[in-house]
Amino acid sequence: MTRFFAVVERDLRKFVRNPVVMLMSILMPVLYLVILGNSFLGELKNLPLAVVKHDSGEYGERILERLHSMEGGPKRVIVYHAANEGEAMEGLKKGVFAATLIIPRNFSSDIAHGKTSELGLFLDNSEPVASEFLRAQAALALSAMRNDFIKIREEKAPMLRETELYKKIDYDQSLIPGVIIMAIFLGAMTTGVFNVVMDRFMGIEESYFLTPLTKMNIVTGLIVSGLFITTILALVVLAISSLIAGLYFWTTISFGAFIALLLVIALSTLSLQGLMFVILGRVDHPRIVGVLGGFLNVILFFPSGAIYPVESFPAWLKAFSRINPETYSVHAMRAILFKGADVYAVKQDLALLFVTAVVLISLATVVFKREL
Amino acid sequence: MRNMGREGFRQPMAYAIEIQGLVKKFKDLSALDGVSFSVEEGEFFGLLGPNGAGKTTLIRIITTLIRPTSGRAVVMGMDCSRNCAGVRKKIGVVPQALTSDLDLTGRENMDIYARFYDIPKKERRERIEYLLDMVGLRERAADLVATYSGGMRRRLELARALVNMPELFILDEPTLGLDPQSRRVVWEFLEKLMTEHKITTLLTTHYMEEAEALCDRVAIIDYGKIVALDTIEGLKKAVPEKDVVEIEFSEASEELLIDSLKAMSSITSVSIIGNALRISVEDGAGSITEILERVKAEGGKVRKAVVKNLTLEDVFIHFTGRPIREEEAKKVSFLLGAGIPRRWTR
Repeated sequence: MTRFFAVVERDLRKFVRNPVVMLMSILMPVLYLVILGNSFLGELKNLPLAVVKHDSGEYGERILERLHSMEGGPKRVIVYHAANEGEAMEGLKKGVFAATLIIPRNFSSDIAHGKTSELGLFLDNSEPVASEFLRAQAALALSAMRNDFIKIREEKAPMLRETELYKKIDYDQSLIPGVIIMAIFLGAMTTGVFNVVMDRFMGIEESYFLTPLTKMNIVTGLIVSGLFITTILALVVLAISSLIAGLYFWTTISFGAFIALLLVIALSTLSLQGLMFVILGRVDHPRIVGVLGGFLNVILFFPSGAIYPVESFPAWLKAFSRINPETYSVHAMRAILFKGADVYAVKQDLALLFVTAVVLISLATVVFKREL
Repeated sequence: MRNMGREGFRQPMAYAIEIQGLVKKFKDLSALDGVSFSVEEGEFFGLLGPNGAGKTTLIRIITTLIRPTSGRAVVMGMDCSRNCAGVRKKIGVVPQALTSDLDLTGRENMDIYARFYDIPKKERRERIEYLLDMVGLRERAADLVATYSGGMRRRLELARALVNMPELFILDEPTLGLDPQSRRVVWEFLEKLMTEHKITTLLTTHYMEEAEALCDRVAIIDYGKIVALDTIEGLKKAVPEKDVVEIEFSEASEELLIDSLKAMSSITSVSIIGNALRISVEDGAGSITEILERVKAEGGKVRKAVVKNLTLEDVFIHFTGRPIREEEAKKVSFLLGAGIPRRWTR
């Protein structure tokens, strides 16, 4: 055990002498929360819509009223009145408008005479998110007008009554499990096997290969020091991002749930450390770690369900997400943070992460080359 | 530390190192091509050879870092390929590259290294202070190694390699890249270690002065083969050339002078190169006075007299046919470039 602890202490001492890396490992996942939280999937706002109204009748006016009412309140849409089609289409092509709605001259009279009436909607579909949204808004305006028009409905449309099971979770808060797993990934990336690669690159590994240290001492020692560092980093990141997103989980979750959270963080760290050790155990240049690290981060993070539900993936990606340890971490953290789940409730995730960690670390020890 | 005397380092054993028919091939290249020799207990043994001769490969096999293609290396009666753990406990190694941790202090480097050998705390502390003192680093022991000079870092690594009180001390080019002053400090340390602790030492070098100053016996290694092995005196004797005395003179008859000098029993040949006499002689330093007297007796005026002793360099040239500092161009991988450190530095 003396040897094992010496490996752990060497690594920890070296780590604390490098506060810049420490700070960056905390800062980056938090920045990620701020940037991702504000860059997509949040509420859409201020989308510019050009309207060209040739119709002077009642129904054209109603459509316009609907659109103006959307403009107020949440400011999803800003309605611009264009003098003619030419101006509106020009603006659309230049990207000044996200869509152009044309109300033709005989729109009201066609409706009044029971003829088929049409509105023209031109969408800048190079921006799929904005154009989809405006299409839905235009359809909404049209159907609202139609409801007014058909006074007597033959049957009532079924209504949805929604019930949210858990305390209201906004988008920023829903990203927190993803932010934590990212912090864990970064921690696992810059500790553990990375130190083997650095020592090899600098030619320092030779000196401890000369001593009675075993493979097991080296691999488990580095993983345990990495576990220690990463767990602390993940908890700091959790605290900061919860404050930013306003998720005061310490007031809502039980002590048991907090223990479960710690276990998830520790087992996720061990799984990722093991995975990195298996993949990078024989690499001798830090640049390879950089390249593979960026790649691994993307292919593990996005299919983990951290930002988009796993259920919506195509079958092949779903299969991949099923063998991705981050999927289980995110699933368990979401249950703990938002539903107050305890160890028992997330036992399946914990068991899977535990098995993954044991298998990967054992494999890493076996394939580690304790020779030059 | 008193218990680090002779008995601390040494145990009676016939051979500290036995090498038999060692071959190591890297792909199509033979780094070692059938090397055999033995190093006795308490001996200071030198491996002398140019860069790329196979010295580091040999050291790495002895120190259990790589496996030989064929042949056997035995240290303290233990096979280096089979009983790696046993060998590692008995040896202390200073690798060629600087291998201490830059972001640890000198003392931390020593302490963590000692714990790799499972040395109990009290013993560890005493030994580390003793060794730091011995290499003159006690005052700087609390500073990060990153602040050390190359010479200091090397001294720290010398001390670190002794932390387990090894029975065999192995140094791979310990003074490579050091300035002359640091080199002298390392030599003094090794001499002191030899006289005070009689620890068996294997040293590789391509510095002639280093081998001459320190080694009892020297093996000359070239292209993966041992081309000569003897004491330094023995090696010098094997070379037919002798010490050379060169004398520039004027105002004397060359023929008469040559005849007069040839009459001396210690002189084997006298020739004239330009306006100087080149005299091959058994003992250059011992004969110079008589040579000068004979020149004067013939009425000659000596303008310049030089005694050139036979050096290990001459011995090396004799056995390998080239001077030691002649280096061959290194090969760099086209695919990997120079960014990947050469893992098989020989």
